[in-house]
Amino acid sequence: MQLSNLRKTGDMRGAYGEALVELGNENPNLVCVGADTTESLKTKKFGDKYPDRLFNLGIAEANLVSVAAGLAIAGKVVFASTYAAFLPGRCLDQIRNAICYPNLNVKLVVSHAGLTVGADGASHQQNEDFSVMRSIPNMKVLAPADALAAQQLTKLVAKTPGPFYMRLARPSSEILYSESIRFALGKANVLSEGNDATIIACGLMVQRSLEAARLLKEQEGISCRVIDMFCIKPIDHDLVYDAAKKTGIIVTAEEHNVIGGLGSAVTESCCERYPVPVKRVGVKDTFGESARDDEIEDLLVKYGLTSYDIAKSVIDSRRKALV
Amino acid sequence: MLAILGIAEAGSGHPGASFSAAEIMGSLYLRVMKHSPRNPEWPDRDYFVNSKAHSAPGYYATLSVAGYFPPDEMSSLRRLGSRLQGHPVRYSSYQQSQSVPGIEYSGGSEGIGLSVAVGIALASKMDRKRNHVYVLIGDGESNEGQIWEAAMAAAKFKLDNITVILDRNRIQQDGFTEEIMPMDPVRDKWAAFNWNTEEVKGHNVEEIMDTLYKTKRVKDRPSIIIANTIKGNGIKHMTNNPQWHGKAPPRKHTPVLLEELENECFIAPSIIAGEPENYEDKIRKAERGGADMIHLDIMDGKFVNNTTMGAETIKKLRRVTSLPFDAHLMIENPVELVDGFIDAQCDIITVHAETCTEEEFLAIAEKLLQNGISPGIAVNPPTDLPLWVFSHLEKIDVLIVMSVNPGFSGQQFLPETLEKMALLDGKLRKHGFKGYIEADGGIDSRRLQEVYDAGAKIMVAGNAVYGSSDIHGAIIQLKHKANVALERKLLARSTSLEIRQDWIRARRHILIPLANELGIEEELHATE
Repeated sequence: MQLSNLRKTGDMRGAYGEALVELGNENPNLVCVGADTTESLKTKKFGDKYPDRLFNLGIAEANLVSVAAGLAIAGKVVFASTYAAFLPGRCLDQIRNAICYPNLNVKLVVSHAGLTVGADGASHQQNEDFSVMRSIPNMKVLAPADALAAQQLTKLVAKTPGPFYMRLARPSSEILYSESIRFALGKANVLSEGNDATIIACGLMVQRSLEAARLLKEQEGISCRVIDMFCIKPIDHDLVYDAAKKTGIIVTAEEHNVIGGLGSAVTESCCERYPVPVKRVGVKDTFGESARDDEIEDLLVKYGLTSYDIAKSVIDSRRKALV
Repeated sequence: MLAILGIAEAGSGHPGASFSAAEIMGSLYLRVMKHSPRNPEWPDRDYFVNSKAHSAPGYYATLSVAGYFPPDEMSSLRRLGSRLQGHPVRYSSYQQSQSVPGIEYSGGSEGIGLSVAVGIALASKMDRKRNHVYVLIGDGESNEGQIWEAAMAAAKFKLDNITVILDRNRIQQDGFTEEIMPMDPVRDKWAAFNWNTEEVKGHNVEEIMDTLYKTKRVKDRPSIIIANTIKGNGIKHMTNNPQWHGKAPPRKHTPVLLEELENECFIAPSIIAGEPENYEDKIRKAERGGADMIHLDIMDGKFVNNTTMGAETIKKLRRVTSLPFDAHLMIENPVELVDGFIDAQCDIITVHAETCTEEEFLAIAEKLLQNGISPGIAVNPPTDLPLWVFSHLEKIDVLIVMSVNPGFSGQQFLPETLEKMALLDGKLRKHGFKGYIEADGGIDSRRLQEVYDAGAKIMVAGNAVYGSSDIHGAIIQLKHKANVALERKLLARSTSLEIRQDWIRARRHILIPLANELGIEEELHATE
């Protein structure tokens, strides 16, 4: 099986930094650009190892994204990193026109998206990035579920030409995958099998979905298939179709506005090929708020993003389906 | 001209911007840049990032002339299925159907190109390449904050392999830049960002090229060249007119617009005329009156029976004006003496056919062209143009046909020279002459029309200007007559194309003050 049973935790940003150091050794053409957040995004690790291949452009994100485009034009593989609020949030124009239109080899890797940013509050809790990024032609959108996935996906995007957007979480989280896991673009991972419903999640909500599936099994006798849709675009249409056909109910879970993100992408795919009820667990078209690290779980409770919310959505959908 | 064809065919585009940057892009692609149309992805090439992407028609025309794609494709501009998109698209294996080779950067959103150039320049430094990155930006575009983010970054990384050319045409979509968002003192701004700054006349190819070569040698700092340009340069009803920022002329007007570009009439006041007062004052008055260039008569007391100024005087006058200096050497042995006038930064240098052999003229022309100066040749009224001149027409920018015998100002115009001009004009054009015929001697506002009709486009005016009690008024009067002559020619062309009414309507605001003299008052009235 692909899942780990060690119950370790890991930090996605740290894993990203380590992967970059490794990749930098293999590919002398790989460079990083940062915007005064290289310490936080762990690209500094890369810079410490390869000082002339990390360019810190200061707090100037529009410039950051466009300089990345220039480096890519000159043949470099470019990783551009800062907080989500300031890349897709601030630089849609530059991402669209300077990177995606000419299909350049730039990888935007961000952290501090979703409510789990915590203390910084709503200004930083970017809940709209999937929506904006996935609607740009040529852009591919990823959200790893744990540190191991983050490391593997960093290597995958480094080797795949063209623009990528990858969202890392701020807090450390449980390691779900085992070391042997390999990822393929546009192919989601089924983490547990079940016949009564399917939960499709990404990022930190994958772990909560597995927890919801366990609760449903133990308390209600409902067996759920759990899918890690780490690749929001291109989405795994075949797997969505299969889930709709075999389980009849789909619940999505994401740390993102319910408008435009994973829930929308799954709904679109499902509706076109095999319409079944889809319930979307996510931020309900509202802004978040501050919470200290020890209050993050309470914050998720307040905004309805816990394993109980996912489980409840599965039960509600089944009840409606039975009526 | 290709740009006008393209824009007119497309029915939309940005004609003004294409013209203001024409000389800049031409200098880059035809002289300064290392690039290879046969091998557009040559790794050591210089890069050109056209951040001012709304100048696409001019950019495409330049690329076509440089050899990147056939000129007949220009007519597909902005059409469905065309490789010439409204704003240029980076050419790559991924995007071949909507782009042409040679385009490095997809522009269209303002303010991004300089940052992209910073990325390219960083990569070049990393790879220890010796290439250079040129970036064209607009002055309206400089409202964008990102321009200044990139400016800081380029200075931080000491990117001396970047030269920015700022097309300072002072107009943006809604109006004049200094009203919409003042940019001045723009040079000080860039200097404060630790850039090496230069300023040039943006339609003077020699000056542009010199400065481009100069900035290439600057160490440890990026450079910006502020090119003072005129939007819509060459087309009167577009010039400095914000209306033409993003609008195409109707296709049927194209032949007339092209005619205008080739037939402007220039006034060149000759400062030795009139009272022997100081030259500086005469130049300033000429400039204020709207003269196009300053004509300098250099006489040595040998070739002609009079002595005027020498190279040292011209050197001192050079700082008085930025108008071109049109130096007319009426001296013996010009091949030995021309260096001094090159040093004095003349823009056109004309020597007399009577004073040099074919070999000597070629030596002079070669030297002038190397220094970015336009070579000219002059003939006195009794002299026939030597036959060898016909073998070197591509090296000659100006032919002065003397309409008086040289030596003194204030002489009577010799009417028989009109026929000589017309004959030469016809013969030379047939042999591929692309330069200007300049008429020198006894020309006044009464005489101008017939001299123009004989084919001369540069009018030297001495006594008519400086012999007048109202110098300022005299130049205005001449310039006015020059405009009338041009408009008359264009009206005739539009009539032959059967678009006269339409042309008059498009050019109303230019024609209104000239209507009486052109005899079109009633027609103008009818177009209201």
